[in-house]
Formats: sequence, structure tokens, C-alpha cells
Amino acid sequence: MKNLFSDKKTIALLSVPSIAIIGFAILAPLVVSLYFSFMEWSGFGAATFIGMDNYRQLVLHDGTFYRALINTFLLMLVTIFLQNPFAFVIAAILTKLKDATSRFLRTIYFIPATLSLVVVTKLWVSIFNPSYGFLNKLLQGIGFQNMQIAWLSNPKTALGSVIWIMVWQGFGWALLFYYSGLMTVPKELEEAAKVDGANKYQLYTKIIVPYMLPVIQSVIVIDVISSLKQMEMVYLSTEGGPGDLTQFIAVYLYQKAFRYSEYGYGNAISVIFVILAVFLTIFIQRIFRERSAGKKRVGA
Amino acid sequence: MTRYQVERNSKKTLLAIFLGLFVVAQVFPLLWVASYSLQKSGDLFGPELFKLPVNPVWNNYVRAWFDGKIPQYLTNTLLVVIPSVTLSTVLSFSIAYACTRMQWKLRPVAWFIITIGLTIPIHTTLLPNFIWYNFFGLIDTRIGLIISYVAFSISFNAIIFSGLLAGLPFSMEESAFLDGAKYRHILPSIIAPMAATGFATVGVQTFLNHWNEFIMANTYLMSEAKRTLPFSIIRFQGQYSSDYAVQFACMTLVALPPLLLYFIFNRWIVAGITAGAVKG
Amino acid sequence: MYRKIGLFALMLILATTVVFAQGAKESGEGETVVLRMGDNIPDRSTGWGAVIEKINKEFIEMHPEVEITTESYQDQAWQEKVKIYATANQLPDVMKYWSFSTLLQPLVDGKFVEPLNMDTFKQYGYMAGSLEGNVYDGELYGIPVSADLWVIYVNKALFEKAGVPLPESWEDIVASVPKFKAQGIIPMVTDGKDGWPLCEMFDNIQQRISGSFQPVADAIDRKARYTDDNFLQTARYIQNLVKAGVFQSDLVTSDYGASRNLFGQERAAMYMMGSWEMGLATDPNFSDSFRENLDVIEFPVVEGGKGNSNDLLAWFGGNYIVNAKSEHKDLALEYLEYYAKVFPAYAWETQATFPAQKVDARENDTIVAKKLLDIAADAKTTSGTPGLDRSTAAFKETHQDLMRRLMSNIITPEAFVAELDAAAEKAAK
Repeated sequence: MKNLFSDKKTIALLSVPSIAIIGFAILAPLVVSLYFSFMEWSGFGAATFIGMDNYRQLVLHDGTFYRALINTFLLMLVTIFLQNPFAFVIAAILTKLKDATSRFLRTIYFIPATLSLVVVTKLWVSIFNPSYGFLNKLLQGIGFQNMQIAWLSNPKTALGSVIWIMVWQGFGWALLFYYSGLMTVPKELEEAAKVDGANKYQLYTKIIVPYMLPVIQSVIVIDVISSLKQMEMVYLSTEGGPGDLTQFIAVYLYQKAFRYSEYGYGNAISVIFVILAVFLTIFIQRIFRERSAGKKRVGA
Repeated sequence: MTRYQVERNSKKTLLAIFLGLFVVAQVFPLLWVASYSLQKSGDLFGPELFKLPVNPVWNNYVRAWFDGKIPQYLTNTLLVVIPSVTLSTVLSFSIAYACTRMQWKLRPVAWFIITIGLTIPIHTTLLPNFIWYNFFGLIDTRIGLIISYVAFSISFNAIIFSGLLAGLPFSMEESAFLDGAKYRHILPSIIAPMAATGFATVGVQTFLNHWNEFIMANTYLMSEAKRTLPFSIIRFQGQYSSDYAVQFACMTLVALPPLLLYFIFNRWIVAGITAGAVKG
Repeated sequence: MYRKIGLFALMLILATTVVFAQGAKESGEGETVVLRMGDNIPDRSTGWGAVIEKINKEFIEMHPEVEITTESYQDQAWQEKVKIYATANQLPDVMKYWSFSTLLQPLVDGKFVEPLNMDTFKQYGYMAGSLEGNVYDGELYGIPVSADLWVIYVNKALFEKAGVPLPESWEDIVASVPKFKAQGIIPMVTDGKDGWPLCEMFDNIQQRISGSFQPVADAIDRKARYTDDNFLQTARYIQNLVKAGVFQSDLVTSDYGASRNLFGQERAAMYMMGSWEMGLATDPNFSDSFRENLDVIEFPVVEGGKGNSNDLLAWFGGNYIVNAKSEHKDLALEYLEYYAKVFPAYAWETQATFPAQKVDARENDTIVAKKLLDIAADAKTTSGTPGLDRSTAAFKETHQDLMRRLMSNIITPEAFVAELDAAAEKAAK
């Protein structure tokens, strides 16, 4: 009987296709990337081997690369310390409302998260447009007559505007995660706290938040990963400009390969990006908690 | 009214305003676009803060439909997404089962590969695949896109399934083995129904993601003939960019299907989040 | 169990076969000869696209066994597509491309382009210097199709509304800024997002200050430096123009379509762009009042500078080339000759573009068209290929990037010239 659980043919049939596809479409390309990262190549014609030159240039001399890292980090901060608290508070409020109202609001709040990134970006590019966009019209309407701010072009406002678009789009997900988590808090816990005389503030900070720590940690991990992965929204709005003030790593490597025709250099950025992403994820997971499905109960 | 009641009422009003502001923030941008999609492009430059369409220009949607090449692009999206979602669901269910309920030496290795798949950013495969996929003739094919879509969605979906599958008692398979049943019967007839919510979640979620996907399609597809739905909106730069209203109509059209899908299958998306992130 | 594995393997084999078969299907068979073409003109219903369709139709009438298939993409996408095609040896038979070294040289070096007979084409009235721009290592590799003159389009109605006369110098333009702003009009727009128009302006202002276009060519060839005083003054001058409010506030994120649109929707009084946009005068998407008030002027002078208004920044960027590995080379070459013969007249007929070959003005030419012919005829000196296209792709990107930064006030003119020079130095290696 136990033998069937270790039936080799079934195991192979169930697992090989997935592993094969992941190997073919994700892992093999990484090796190709590594190979080209040691080359200087324009995209067609001959490729020249240049060893670690791309990496040296990238790590030691590339200000744009570090700017992109800083922007990613700023995005993480805004997401974790601004977007998440708002999402948490609203989720908490939603748990206390009537079920119908709660469901209605949840649905509404999640709408931006269902939209294609192309729609989201083009939408906000229009709203931010200095001539016909809603934002400037609103400011003019309130009384700032000569506000013709070019939100996405002005060096002072560009990064903030881009980050706003990203935070706006991701809000629904954070809300959903926190709401689901809050719903799992046992009622007895709250009642016990109330009996002990805890007020709302204490209830949340001393009881509920600690209970929700695993969820919060999950959300933060996802925030970190998605901050790293930002590309489309920048690519379709500012393309990293003005200058490199809104540059993000994935946009940068794409431009280096396809615009500057520095394919090898783009791949070097790609390789460093993978290393960064993997290490950061492992690091964050380690800090919080170790939980992978492979450790789930096995047996019988 | 007592002072207490007044306080309560004002708190309630404040709460309502607070929640209401967020509703506006989340939804108004779409309404703005939808509203101007039914007006003339020139109206955008008008002095009013916000204008509702008085005489809706439905023709904008007709033009969006044709100028945005929506029928062709929509067909292409379906040709890609239906296979990719099906394949992804089946494969992720399979490997989740193998890794949570079967016993084999390489299991941790396989699961490690699955988790790695989560952390690798899509964009790091765009450059090398230009060469790698080209070698296999997969550039500018729908199959190439399907392969990438499936590869990148297996990890997350497998994790969702694993959450559901891990909680089932082994007695399910054991009693089936006793009856002499083989896996080709057990999996679809006994195990899969138990993970029904997983299928719903994974199916809907993957469908949304693949439907909206842009950057891989942008990098791997070249021909007009193969482009997917997000490209409808991109068409409105260059020569068509004077048509703001039509561009907005196109955006609205492209935004509708995922939105409708979300409204209908709302519940399963939530269930998936719960299973995957909260419990996983 | 074995059956399932076998089935799976079979499906895998089938899938692989389908994948490879797709490639094989591309090569057509049969009696019809398919001539594959590619260009950067997606709109086939008006303007240039319509002219090509007309030429194609006539060519097919002369050769009934021929079928012409064309794929069109926007500039950037088309360039990327060509690179892929070249790598896969699948270039079209006849292609519209560019004569710039950054784009054409790699193809020539890779032996993808068929050399053309200079004598055959010389007889079709090409403007001075135009064919020469397509010569590499003494061989002619492409025929120019359009002459690109750098000019300023103006909306006369908006000038009247603001009470401003048409400018002759950039100082005039700066002085007019408050008057335009008072009427809610943007003084000048251009495509800042792509950056290359800003680079053209750089070359042009440099000439207006120093009196010659040569320093740019010298800086690329490293006979001069971008850190020389004339370039530094140019950078400073341009940054001051931005600070004075001459351009749209979202200059660096306004792409080609957006900026053209601002002008066409009569939100801006001036549009800095090339002669290929003379089609604005007949574009049905814009209002009659816009089209009737459209005019064009030469690039203004800089007061105190040595350049004159009839020193023209002009180049012959767009060209047509033939695939050296084409299976229908003779047919392709014949097509090219026919194109050279009839294109100028057809293009001028519909005012689709400014041809690189001589045309006669017609009675019912638009004001813009006639003016452009005058400007071309008046030109005392021309620039040849602008700086950003004389070097490598990386240099071009850097130049564009630096211009955007300069005009966003993110870097100083001193830092700008230093970095530009470093890029030129690196590219020259």
C-alpha cells in the first residue's frame, strides 16, 4: 500500500513536466544570461568575450544602477510603512461592518488590482497630464491657478508620482490579505481581552497584531518581491526619466539590451538582479520564519 | 440626543467619509476615463473639472473596437490564455500532489525548484530568451508565450494547491488503494474534488494574470497578427494619439473582461489568498 | 502507465514538430512570386503609406505574377525587428531603413545589403549629398527617399491671438513666452521623450552660435571636443530656453504623438520638427482652422551668433535597401528603380513627404509645402547627418539621455558637455 505513495512512474508523470518547463523557460535562460554577461555584443554580428568587464563597470561605475536600487528600496518603504498600515486599518474596519457592506467595499477596493498594468499606467499618465489631466484641473479648481505641474516629467515629482501608481495598484491585494488574516482571529481572543478591560487600541496592538504576525510577514515578503519586479509601469510612463530619477532595475536592463544595443551588459544586470532577488527573498524569509511546504506533515 | 449618541454619530460620519475617500481614490480614475471615453477628444481640454457625457459618443467605442484591433487581439489572447491556464492548473496540481503526498528522495529538490520559480523575476528571462527561444524557433509564436506563462505561474499555483492538499487525511488514498484503485482514477475522482476551491482559485487567478500580461508578449511577439489584448491600448500612440476619447474607450473595453470576471468569481480569489498566503 | 507516458512523449514530439513546421511554412511555394517588404509606415490609408501602396499596385500591374506582402512597425519596433530578422537570416527582399551609420553599417558589415549601381540611380534627380550619405567603402548601399529639414511649424492664428509676430531669433521666442502664457498657449512643443529632436536642436543651436556645422562632425571624429567652448555655450543657451518656459512643461515625457497632438489640437503655437511633418497641412484628424493657419519658418538665429537662418540642418535619413540574400534580387532591384523613378512625383502630389529628389512646385501646393521647397532651395549650407547618428547606438542613447537631463535641469551644462564628450570618446574606440 505504502508502495503506491512511492510509485515511481506516477511521481515522474506528476512532477517531470512542471520541472521540465521551469527548467526550460526559467533556469536554462538564466544560464544563457550568465554566458552573455561575459560578452560584449550588440544583438547581432560577432560577440566578443570580455570577462568581468561588464560586472566591473556595473558595480563600480554605474550610477544609474544604484539609483534604480535606491528607487526600489524607497518603493518598499512606502509600501510597507504607508500602504500596508492603511490597508490594515481599513481591513480592520471592514471586519466590524455588516457583512453586505463589508463585501461591497472589499469588492470596490480591489478593482484596481484586477486591471492590466497597461490600463493602470495609461490611465494615470492621462490623469497626470499637465494640459488635460484631472489632477492639474483639480488643483486649478481649488485655486492654485498657475499649477501646470508636469507630474511625471518634473524631477521633484516624478518618482513620487510613479510610486503612487504602484502603491495604488497594489492596495487591493494588501487589503485582501489583511482582511483574510483578520477573519481568522478567534472571537474568544477578543472577548477575553475585553473582559480583561482592554480598550480598542490595546486590543489591536497587544493582541491582534501579534496574532497576525505571520500574515504581516507574508505580506511584507510579497511587497519586497513585487517592489523588485516593477517594470511595466515605469516602461509605459517615464521610462526611467527624467534622467534616471524613476529608473528601476528591470527597466534598465531592458533598455541596455534593446536600446543601447549593449546586450552583454544588459545580461550582466540581469544576473545581478537574479542574485539580488533570490538572496533578498531568502534573507527576509529567514528573518521572519521558516515555512516551506516541503516541511508539511508527511507520513503514514 | 444624548452626548454619547452625538459622539457616536459623528464617529460614524467620520468613518463613512474615511471609507468613502478610499472608494473615490480607488474607483474615480476609472470613472474619469470611462466618462471621457463617451465624449469628444476636444472636450478633455475644456475648462470644466469633470464632465459627464451629455450626448454619449458611442462611436468612440466602435472606433476603439476597430482602430484598437480588438477582435484580432482578443482572439490571440484567448488562443494563448486558454491553453496556458489549463496547462498551468493541471501541472501545478500534479506537482503539488507529488510533493505533498508522495514519497520520493528528490522531493525536497523538486519543491526547492518550485519555490525558486517564485523568486526569479520574469524580466531576467526576457533577454536570454531572445536567443534561447529563437534557437528553438519559439520567438513570435504563441507556443513560446504559453510556455513562459505556464512556467512562471506553476510556482504560485503549486503553493496554493499544496496548502489544500496537505490538510487531507492519507486515509483517502489508502482506502482507495485497498479497493485496488490506481492513481489514474484516484487523482481525478477522489483527490481533485477535495481541492475544488483550489482549482477555482488557481483557474481564476491565473486567467487574470495571463489575460493582463504585457511585457513577455511585448518581447516575444513580433507580428501584428499575434499580438494580444494589452496591445490595443498601445496602438494609440503615434498616428492615433490625437484620439484621446477613443483611446479611453479602448482602455475601458480592455479593462472590462477581467473586471467582470473578478465580480463573478470574487469568492474564489479571496479563498485563494487565504489558502496561499495566510495559511501557507 | 506506460501508455500514458507514451502518449505524453508523442504529444511532446507533435508539439515540437508543429513548432519547427511553423518556421518552414514561411517560405512560399507556387507560381506566384512573393516579394517581401518591410517599413516603418503602419498607416497605409493616407500619406506615405498610400503612396507605397500605389507604387506596389503599379508594379504588380507590370508583373502580374508578383505578390507583395508588407509588414510595418513603428520606428523603434521596426529597428528591433530588422535586427532579429538579420540574425535569423530572414530579412525582407526590399526594406525601408535608415542611412545612419548606427543602423546601416552593421547590416553592411554583415553582408546583408546588396550594393547598388550608382550610375543607374544618379539619373533620378537626387539632391546634392543625398546619395553620398548612403555610400560605405565606396559602394552605394541604399537610395535616399526623403530629405529631412529641421524647421519650426507655426500656427498663425495663435500668434495673432497672443499679439506676437513670427520670430526670427530665439530671443524673439523667449520674449513672446509671457504673451503666449497669458492666453494659455504653450509657446513651443517637441518630442522630448524620445530625445532625438532635442539632439537635433543641439546641433542646430551650436551652428547658430559658432557659425558652422563642422564642429559636431569633428567632435565625433575626435578632432574637436564636446567640452570646447562653443558646445558649452550651446548647452547653457538651451537650458536657459527651458528655464524661460519656451517648451511644454512635460517636455521629457511627451512622446512623438503627444507633442504632435498638442500642436494639432491648437494648444501650442510652435512645433519643432522635421519637413516630413508637412502632412500636418492635410491631416484630416485636425480642424480646418488649424490646417488653414499652418505655416513653417526656418530655424531661428541666435542674436550675436554667427549662424544664419539659411544654414540648414538637413539630412537624408530614410532610405530603401535590398536584401543581399534575397531570392528575388533582380525583381527587388527592378522595384527599387521603379520606386526611385515615380516616388518623388507621387509623394509630392499628395504632400506625403519631402522627397530627396527634385520636384517642381505645383499650383495647389499648400503654403507649407511651397515654403519648404523655398527653404531647401535657399539653403546656403547643409549639415549632413546630425551628430547623434554619426556614431554608435550607445552614443545616440547617451546623447538623448543627456539632452533630457539637461532640459530637465538635472545636470549643469558643464557636467553635460563632460559626459557627452566621454561618451563620444568611448564610442570612438
